[in-house]
Amino acid sequence: MTEEVIEENAQEDVQESRSQVVIPLLQHKGVICEPLVSVGDTVKIGQKIGSFDNDLGAPVHASVSGEVIALEERPHPICSKMHSVVIEYDGTQEAIRFKGNRSANKDEILETLKESGIIDLDGNSVYFKLNTGKIIDSILINLTDAGDLSSNFTPENIPQIISGLKILLKASGASRGAFVVKKDDGQTNSALKGKLGGEDDIDLFPVKRGYSSTMLNLLAYEMTGMRVSNIGIPADVGVLIFSAYSALAVSEAVLEGIPPININVTVSGAVKQPGVKRSVVGTSFREVIESCGGYVGKPGKIIVNDIITGIAQFTDEVPVTKATTQIIVQSEDEVLRDKPGPCLHCARCVDVCPANILPGLIASQSDIGRYDECEKLHANSCIECGLCSMVCPSKRHLLQLIRYSKHALLRSFMIREEKESSNLKLGCASCQSPCHMGAPMIFVEGK
Amino acid sequence: MKLAVSVPPHIKLDDTIASINWTKIAVLIPVCMVSIYVFGIDVLSILLISVFSALITEAAIQKLQNQELTIKDGDAVLIGLILGLLLPPTVPLWIPVMGAFFAVALVKHAFGGLGSTLFNPAIAGLVFLNMSWTVLMGVDSVPHLGQYSDIMLELGAGRLIEVSPFALIGGLYLIHKKYIEWRIPLTYLLTTIVLAVLIGEDLSYVFTGMLMLGVFILAADPATSPITKNGRIIYGIFCGILTVLYGYFSYNYGLAVIFTIFFANAVSPFIEKNTYPKPVDEVMA
Repeated sequence: MTEEVIEENAQEDVQESRSQVVIPLLQHKGVICEPLVSVGDTVKIGQKIGSFDNDLGAPVHASVSGEVIALEERPHPICSKMHSVVIEYDGTQEAIRFKGNRSANKDEILETLKESGIIDLDGNSVYFKLNTGKIIDSILINLTDAGDLSSNFTPENIPQIISGLKILLKASGASRGAFVVKKDDGQTNSALKGKLGGEDDIDLFPVKRGYSSTMLNLLAYEMTGMRVSNIGIPADVGVLIFSAYSALAVSEAVLEGIPPININVTVSGAVKQPGVKRSVVGTSFREVIESCGGYVGKPGKIIVNDIITGIAQFTDEVPVTKATTQIIVQSEDEVLRDKPGPCLHCARCVDVCPANILPGLIASQSDIGRYDECEKLHANSCIECGLCSMVCPSKRHLLQLIRYSKHALLRSFMIREEKESSNLKLGCASCQSPCHMGAPMIFVEGK
Repeated sequence: MKLAVSVPPHIKLDDTIASINWTKIAVLIPVCMVSIYVFGIDVLSILLISVFSALITEAAIQKLQNQELTIKDGDAVLIGLILGLLLPPTVPLWIPVMGAFFAVALVKHAFGGLGSTLFNPAIAGLVFLNMSWTVLMGVDSVPHLGQYSDIMLELGAGRLIEVSPFALIGGLYLIHKKYIEWRIPLTYLLTTIVLAVLIGEDLSYVFTGMLMLGVFILAADPATSPITKNGRIIYGIFCGILTVLYGYFSYNYGLAVIFTIFFANAVSPFIEKNTYPKPVDEVMA
């Protein structure tokens, strides 16, 4: 076995002028990492600063070298406030020795992925996705998510993405790999076809529509023809779906030993020079936007990841995390200030729904508290893509009403006796009798 | 720095209730002009009185109930305009007032207002007028498209809407803008024509301005048609069959469209309930 040791400066193409970075200890779906450093410690680039005991989470690494000045709650793009490690940048580019392994076997690859803590765009760590214990038939790289595509799929990155896919095939034991590309996306199609000449086990799979990271079950159905249950994952039908970002990070982690500390972020909207910026994890959005020339006029809204389902930020001090692909800035007059009206029953939500449910009807039932009806109308099948809210001519908050009914159904339980109106009660069930915690009875009789 | 925080999505389509309704009104304007040309300037008073009675009724109801005034969204104007177009040119001027009041007060607002109506208000208004003042509502002639130029200008029209089937071509623009969906208009039109040809009916009686209004505006009215995709196809076919049945036995394809859609509105919830789609993620047994 030949082992290459690559020691290099991982920070070469990142701008220099930065005083501190904020690295949240939770960047994935799962448990919060325990900090491995304390205030006053000196850390190097790539040093592990947060970890955990079980397989569910993903460790975090220092992205700059310097001194830990605080361990406290800081703004977070998804969780609003989160325990973070604040590192003051000391000006040196001191890095730990990154160990690459070009001929790693399956177990070594899995071990590397576990240690490097790569997170896919759906929030699950790549190691967790590979380690489900299910038989995997094929691995897909989803190239239909616009934000992921614009950030990570550049012509220079294509060989790395292909090698990332090969590593993932080796790690999962799958026999086939494929790139999922939109049919009308000629640029991506032609760029890939040129590079895939000699590969036999890697295919191109054209699909009609775009699939964001919340719609992976749907993509698995499109690929295999097998339906995935709404609590299931694509691995149930033998498919694993990764983003271009994960493939890139996997090849970097395994071949060069570098954990994901440099992230490609597309900045668009009301900034002076929109474009793709390579930023270290923990840089605040303000610094990323300043490196794009700053705001045009007064910013009205800053949205992370996706303009349809992304989260609007309350401050621009939130850090770039491992699952950030896009920062969208809206100017003040682009911010929507519409008022929801009555449902017209125009059925445009039904026509756009990729999950084939009736969003308008579910939202109306959720609005009046009839969650039992919502369940009958398959509210739980909603994949929360937000298209129904986008096309609604009456500007109703369909996505939020359906989400509300899904949360209510999670908390609900059936009561035995038949009733004329709603037969669902909500709450923790102990609410039927006076609460032992002294809380007032909140959910009584459906609404 | 102040940033707006709101729930997703952060962009929405520009279409609103008002834009949908005013586009439908714009599609009906050409046929109004042709009818004024054919029947004289007097019919303008029928249309205006119908529109204004509908507006005043809606405003009065919303004022009385302390609701927000929504006359700007164009729904009352649309109801009044369609009702005026469905009338014969010879009616006394109090007829549109009665019809518009009935349509807006008892058919639209009594059932819950915009989007919640069980029947199309304009059609229910016409049915009410027809039953109450049958003699006054009689038409002088039944349209017959004897030659091709009658598609453009039909001088034998009995009602304002029947003067020109071609003037309603703007309905295609509504489909293009997705303000109405293609399933109902297409299946309704195809079923009617195919059935009429099959039973040997003269197409020149079938293909009137009334049918075009029914296909593009009345049958595809969002509130009274099924919301499921399959339901809409069944609804369109159902409308087509009923139109030919009514027309074949009553020799009046104009009123056939009206009573067809009136009846189809009544069964639309039943069609909808029985065509709920299967969600994509359901696990096959």
